[in-house]
Amino acid sequence: MLLIVIGLILSGQPVKAQEIVISYSDWQLAQDIWGRSLREAIAEFERLNPGIKVESEPVALAQRDVKFTTAIRAGAGPDVFALDVNPVKQYIKEGWVKDVTPFIEKEGGQQWLSDFYPRTLMPVTEDNKTYGIPKNTVAMVIVYNSQLFREAGIKSTPKNWKEFREVCKKLTKATKPGGPVDQWGVAFVLAKACFDLRFSVVLRGFGGDFLTPDWKHSALNTPEAKEAFNYVVDLILKDKVMPPGVAQVDCNEARRLLAFKKTTMKIGTMWSITEVSGFNPDLHGWEVLEMFPIPQKEGVKSKIRSTLYQKSIFMNPNTKHPEAAWKLMKFLTDKKQMEKWFVDNNMLSCRKSVNDTYGPILQSKYASVVKREIENAAFLPLIPQWPECLETFRQNLQAAIAKQKTPDKALMDAHNQIEAILTRK
Amino acid sequence: MRIHDRYKCYFFILPAFLLLVSILGFPAIAAVLQSFNLVWVSKPSFTLSSYGRLLHDIEFLTSLLNTFIFVSTTVSFHLLIGLGIALLLNTEVKKRHFFRVIAILPWTVPDVIGGLIWKFIFDTLPGFVNAVLIRGGFLVEPIDWLGRPHLAFSCFIFAEIWRGYPFAMLILLAGLQAIPRQQYEAGAIDGASALQNFLYITLPNLKYMFIIAMILDTIWECRLFGMVYSMTGGGPGYASQVLSLLTYKHYFQFFNTSYAASIAVVLAMVMLIISIPYLRITMRREI
Repeated sequence: MLLIVIGLILSGQPVKAQEIVISYSDWQLAQDIWGRSLREAIAEFERLNPGIKVESEPVALAQRDVKFTTAIRAGAGPDVFALDVNPVKQYIKEGWVKDVTPFIEKEGGQQWLSDFYPRTLMPVTEDNKTYGIPKNTVAMVIVYNSQLFREAGIKSTPKNWKEFREVCKKLTKATKPGGPVDQWGVAFVLAKACFDLRFSVVLRGFGGDFLTPDWKHSALNTPEAKEAFNYVVDLILKDKVMPPGVAQVDCNEARRLLAFKKTTMKIGTMWSITEVSGFNPDLHGWEVLEMFPIPQKEGVKSKIRSTLYQKSIFMNPNTKHPEAAWKLMKFLTDKKQMEKWFVDNNMLSCRKSVNDTYGPILQSKYASVVKREIENAAFLPLIPQWPECLETFRQNLQAAIAKQKTPDKALMDAHNQIEAILTRK
Repeated sequence: MRIHDRYKCYFFILPAFLLLVSILGFPAIAAVLQSFNLVWVSKPSFTLSSYGRLLHDIEFLTSLLNTFIFVSTTVSFHLLIGLGIALLLNTEVKKRHFFRVIAILPWTVPDVIGGLIWKFIFDTLPGFVNAVLIRGGFLVEPIDWLGRPHLAFSCFIFAEIWRGYPFAMLILLAGLQAIPRQQYEAGAIDGASALQNFLYITLPNLKYMFIIAMILDTIWECRLFGMVYSMTGGGPGYASQVLSLLTYKHYFQFFNTSYAASIAVVLAMVMLIISIPYLRITMRREI
């Protein structure tokens, strides 16, 4: 061995320092535009940290939790990974994410965290311990095709749900004289994928919510929830302003419908522009697509009418290279990367300094609407039982749309079942 | 050390036995322990609450009933269609190997892919079925095939009948080819008609293959997941949900590991009971 080392030294070959290999998994790595942007960021990280190599591990969103939880329970899994807020509390409860408080303390503790919106730290914090670093946050708004609005003679965007319904009716029509209806006002996402962020804004826009503010009981027995529920069922069954088969529409289908002018509105946010434009470049999405805030019921004074989305970065408790993993977490959430993320993907940051000072964000017509709406938005319940509560509600809503149950019965069933779920744990 | 001849055979099968126990036994035991909240949970403590909950869970009971309807219907059709096609393929037709390959094609499609294909076929707006019916003048408005409970469940059953019949067909075809020709020759001498040949020669000879195909297909269909996951997701509501999907949801989406394990154990018990006749037949035939 000594001879080999001496030989290498003599031959002028430097002894290469051992390279640390860590893995990063993110559902957006599996998507074209987002994935490219992330890979560029990872390449930059490797350039700045020559001793660390990052292996990208794309994962489909639908399979993300299956893969992560199985691997982590088995003592494996990616060193660093991304999650949205939905399952985070369960990950924390089960010990599937590492407490990164000691790393944050080394960086300066509260001072280092002070650039993040306090609200964005809520999902990643439990018992004063921080388990992840917030990356992006946005609020849900209504995305619409301004060209179709103009063609229908609609001059202003709806401010309340009554106006929204009227606009939907005007926009639902046959584009060919004498032909069948082939353009609809809106398509809500009612399939499982992405249901949570979209439907919640209707409930909140009516002044209701899924759960009480302390997240301990169902709030679906309130008049506001009942009104919102009936409103959606009526839009589909009575007004028929959503395309047939809307119960199977997921977020991608809603984007496709908007991209091909089958619908004129959808509940979405910053990413909708990139995604819809990607489906149909001929739409010229960046020119024709506009946004307006979530309508509210007339007379409702509730501040909260929208829902916050957040993506955060976490460390696997099984990682063998926590220092390198922390470096990657810090890098992916730093100011420069957040700015790049906006340029590449039109996404706002969890850092105030980025949203408040970065030129392209300040000039963006979309960012101005969504930033304002962040003030009127809240997270969905941050409790481990939330995924089950949400699915229970969605199943009952689908049963009402399929006329399997009356809307009142479906809502009451959802209320009772969610109460049972919350009591059980 | 000298091993007595009597025990030598056990010594030789020991590696295979240990391998089987570790591969098959460990997950089964772990699932049972997990259903009692004893392993892979944040706070282990023995409880029967998961099993108690099963009795009152409407979603579980509906899924159990759905599983029963789904399995009994698909297996019946698999056997019926499988037998019909096996009989056709067993005749002396030209290029029968080509037809055999064609007949087996649906079974080569992975169930997830099969589900996606049928989802697109039954899609409300761009779907093939609605397009044909509307262009043919049979419909004015598209039918929401996967949005209505009974239709969605029927479409799912239809899709799985298409995908799974070759399995029964292959077993029955093998059975048909094993029937001695002399029996048919004897039937011909006795002046038996084609129907009599079928009823008194073919069917009795196929009895065991029929039972084997039925049991194996039943077990397979009880476990089916990919097709329903990708085609209907169990919806609308939980109208087309089967036990395998409910298990998945509780384990990986709601993180109710004990409850998911208890559903899986119930499903496994049902399959174990179903497999008893199969084991008896195969063991008897070997003897």
